[in-house]
Order: sequence, then structure tokens, then C-alpha cells
Amino acid sequence: MNVRDLLREALRALEANRGRTLLTVLGIVIGIAAVIAMTSLIGGVQQTLLSGLGLNAARMVQIGTSSPLRETDIEKLGKLVGSIEFIEGTLSGFGETNVDDRQISISVTGTSAHMLEMTGQVKLTEGRLFNAQEEASGARVAIIERGGVKTYFSKPDADVIGKQVKVGNESYTIVGVADAASGGVGNDSYMNLIMPVKTVARGLSWLPQGSFDQAIAFVREGVDVETAVSDIKGALAKTQRVPEDEIDDYIWVYSMKAQIDSLKSFTMAFQLITGAVAGISLLVGGIGIMNMMLTNVTERIREIGVRRALGARGRDITRQFLMESIAICVLGGIIGTVMGYLVAWGIAIVVTNMGLLQSLSANGGSVTFAPAFSFVTVALAVGISVAIGVLFGFYPARRAARLDPVECLRYQ
Amino acid sequence: MNILTIEHLTRVYGTGPTAVTALDDVSFTVDAGEFVVIVGSSGSGKSTLMHLMGGVDRPTSGTVRLQGQDIFARSDEELAVFRRREVGLVYQFYNLIPVLDVVENMTLPVLMDGRAVNEDRLASLIQTLGLTGREHHLPNQLSGGQQQRVAIGRALMNAPAVILADEPTGNLDTKNSAEIMALLRSSNRQLKQTLIVITHDEDIALMADRVIAIEDGRIVRDERRA
Repeated sequence: MNVRDLLREALRALEANRGRTLLTVLGIVIGIAAVIAMTSLIGGVQQTLLSGLGLNAARMVQIGTSSPLRETDIEKLGKLVGSIEFIEGTLSGFGETNVDDRQISISVTGTSAHMLEMTGQVKLTEGRLFNAQEEASGARVAIIERGGVKTYFSKPDADVIGKQVKVGNESYTIVGVADAASGGVGNDSYMNLIMPVKTVARGLSWLPQGSFDQAIAFVREGVDVETAVSDIKGALAKTQRVPEDEIDDYIWVYSMKAQIDSLKSFTMAFQLITGAVAGISLLVGGIGIMNMMLTNVTERIREIGVRRALGARGRDITRQFLMESIAICVLGGIIGTVMGYLVAWGIAIVVTNMGLLQSLSANGGSVTFAPAFSFVTVALAVGISVAIGVLFGFYPARRAARLDPVECLRYQ
Repeated sequence: MNILTIEHLTRVYGTGPTAVTALDDVSFTVDAGEFVVIVGSSGSGKSTLMHLMGGVDRPTSGTVRLQGQDIFARSDEELAVFRRREVGLVYQFYNLIPVLDVVENMTLPVLMDGRAVNEDRLASLIQTLGLTGREHHLPNQLSGGQQQRVAIGRALMNAPAVILADEPTGNLDTKNSAEIMALLRSSNRQLKQTLIVITHDEDIALMADRVIAIEDGRIVRDERRA
């Protein structure tokens, strides 16, 4: 008998005992729902946290030295360390300005549009990033952070694209407004601006021309970040002629790997706990399945005898009962998956609305998160269901197959 | 031509002091196309004999040869395949699979064998058995007589070497009994189908070519009719 015939018979048999099937399937439904809800919630939280750190955070390396980093140092580094995909210097500056009678401190970050895209730490909500011509000429353009709009223009939702913002004695044209995922603190007397590196170098930084206070590098996908970090240290020590034993006094190279790793180990621990809970409910569910299948075998003992007499081999009987327990488990898995996602969405909505994730946000803004849907999880749920079906269905199925056909036929 | 040879067939159930000898050194042969009735009171060993001839049970000693082949020389798996192809069983209580409809029940042995259903044979059987229009009824939607006709259809579907029927009319009224026996008789006559019917109904015994009587596991009478 082929799988389709077997499946059809299995489903009929389950339908014939609809009430019992539904009750038995509940155990699996709850177990799978727990697995799906937990993994998708944890996945969602992890995604939210990781995107807070930035898109390519895992590949990002920050480089600083005690003496200013020169452009030539950065260029050499890019050539010497093969694992670097992209490296660029950034510059910070500082200025003050008076609006009405308030004094506002302004910190300025000098970077490039490409770097902003790579880090993903700044999310543009209006306007645009700098263009190549503005970056090359050091044009007086700026991206203002959402908090700064309120600080400078007194209205958080003012239309500020094209308006001027004053830092010291110079005016800068606002080309974009961004939501900052990090460092974007804004209050009455303090704000952040983002400008092209050359613009900052022209008047807002105290560093000599052609110098940067740090460089940000991205290592290639698949490269071990820790190895890249030590390669960068070594190369920098060579170009700056820093003695081997003093490297750590002069050169700082950081990756976010440690933070990401600790985040991952945290979620891993959480996953283990919920996995254990789900495992227990699946175990209980599986025992329920076994119990039902044993009852099933006893009730259908005569049918088993007839099938044997008509020419079913022992393994045909095994397959038939196994198919039934697998079918019931997969049914439970499907219902459980749907329920798990519904529960995860419910929790996500509640958590978002209650602002429970606020503490995870770097700028104190609201954090929204959605459960992570992944086909891997669904495949896992189906896989677990089939495994439970086989595991807990095997014993009853074997028992059915080993029954003596003549005894079965005599059974009334 | 003899199709079935039974030699010194003995079946003992249990061991030691509680052992019961259900069948005791039984030997006979059946010719192809013959209609044999086996009569005996309950507990005489008729059902044991039928299960042994059908390859459902294994004997304590002795052999059953079908078309010259010793069926118990086969492994359990081979014996199962033998049952699908070479034997058609009909029981007193129909023994249909309750969740399968008429056609599915009839084709079950074919499907078990992984072969394609011979649709022409199925259609002609359904017509002959008077089951037209009930192809997709479940067993519990049919009368006893109809259910037994489905069981006969199931037995005939694979065109087996021999049909073994254990009290096929035991649960039916007179009218249905006569119909069922007529069906079996006509398959015996028209298709030269070898037919062995176990019964205690004397009327059925009168229809047979030959009557074998069993008592306490032994053959006490073997009469061929002219």
C-alpha cells in the first residue's frame, strides 16, 4: 500500500474517533505552540536588540590610537589587513550656539553616507544622506536627529529640511532628519548633528587636517572578528612604530562581538529554559498519544486480524498504526504552530504597548518588535511532531503487528 | 487435477496439561474447481482447519500444499503475500474494515500488494454482486447480506486459487443465505473457482460436490456426490 492510501486510511480512522483525537492532540498542540511562541518571541527580541546595535554590528571594528589617526594610516591599514572590507575615518566635533536666549551644546559626528548605511545606526526618516559632491567639498550640510529638531526649533515635528542650523559662527543646511538608534540623546540644551567628515574638519574639530579621531572598519563576511582585531592591532603598531609590549597603551581596537556574544548567550539560556518547558509538555503529549494508540490497537484487534488474514505483513500493520500516530502529531504540530504565532503576536503587541522594552532602547525612544517568523522554526515544529509520532507510536504499532492473527480473529 | 493437498495436519494449542488438540492428523486432497463443504459442530476444529488452509495460522505438524507448493515452507512475509494472492477468505461476521467504503474494502488485498486495481474486474464483480450504486457506502450503511457480498467481492478480487468461507451464511436470514450461496456456487461453476465452505447448515451441504465431516479434530466422513 502506498503512502497516500495509508494516509487516507489513517485520517479516516482518526476522524472516526474525532472527540478522542482532538483531546489527544491537545498535548502536542500545547507543546508545539510553546516551542513556536518562545522561539519566535526570542528571535524577535534578538532581532530588535541586534538592529539597535546596527545592521552589520557583528562585523564592525572600531579603531583608535592615542595619537591622531592620519589618513595615510587608515589607507595602509586597509591594504595591509586583507580581512578588512571597508574602512573609513570618522571625526567628532563640538560647537555651541544660542537660540533665543538658550545656549545649546552641539556635538557633531563627521562621517560619510556610505558609513551611515553600513552601520545602520541612523535611520533617515526625512530628506536624504549626503551626496558625493558634498562629501568631497566639505559642504555645509547636516543631518539632524529627531531629538535635535525639538531642541533647536522648539517643535519636534517642524518641517526643517532646507532650513539652517547654526553651530558657532557658521550656518549649515539641514538635508535630512534621522531617528538615532544610539547616542541620540536630545534635551533642551544639547543635540547631535551628523555632517560629512570634511565639513567637520573645516571648522569644528581641533585635530589637524587629514586626521581622524577614530576609524571604523568592517571585516568581510565569514571572517573571525577576533582574528581581524589582532591583525589590525599588529598592522597599526607597525605603521605607527609602537613597540610590541606597549600596543595596548597606544592602540584600541574594539569589536562588538563581545556584546553580541553576551546577548546571544542570554537568549540561548532563555531558549534552553523554554525548550525544557516545551520538551516536558511534548513528552506528556507523546505519552497521551501512546496511550490513545494502545487503546486504538485493543479496540481494533479484530480489524488487525482481518488485515493479517487478507495478507498484511507485520510491517504493513506497523506502518498503518505509525502513520496514524504521525498524522495525529503532525495535525497537532500544524495547529500548534498557528496557535504559537498567534500567542507570540499577542504578547508582542502587549509588550510593545506597555513599553516593556524601553530599557533596551539606547535613546529611550519606543521600541517595537514583531515575532520572528522563520521557516526553520516551522520545519523544526513539523520535524518534532513527526519524531514524536514515530517515537510514541512505535511501541503500540509494533504491539499491533506482533499480535497473533488467529487470536485477533477469534476476539469478539 | 488436485489443487490442495493436506497431509497429516495437526494443530495443538497451548502446551503441557492444558494443551488442546484442535486438529488431529487430518489428510485429504481437493481437486481444482471442486466445491467442498466441511461440516462439524462447534469446537470440532473446522475453523482451525480453515485458518491453516488459508495460511493464517501455522500447524504443529503436517503440510498444506497449494498447487504443489508447501505453503508453510514460506517465511511469514512470503506467507502474507501468498494470502493476498492465492486465497480468498470469507467470514461469518463479514469482517469489513469499518472506515473503508465498498470499493476500498474490495480492493484492499490488491492495494496491499501494491498493484493497480483491475477496474474491469471490479466493475463486473460489483454488478454480479448487486452492489451497483453502493460503491461508496461504508459497511455500517449496508445490510448484512450486502456486507457479506462485499466480503465475497473482496475474496474474489484477486482471482485466488481457492476460496475459503467460514460459515458465510451463519449470520444471515434464509433469503440472504440462499443468495450468498448462489453467488458462491455460480463463481464455482462459471469461473471454475475452487470453493471450500465450512458450515453446519445441511441445506448448504446438499449443494456441494463433496462433504467432509469433522469431529474432535478428525475426519469422520468424506463423501463425494455423483
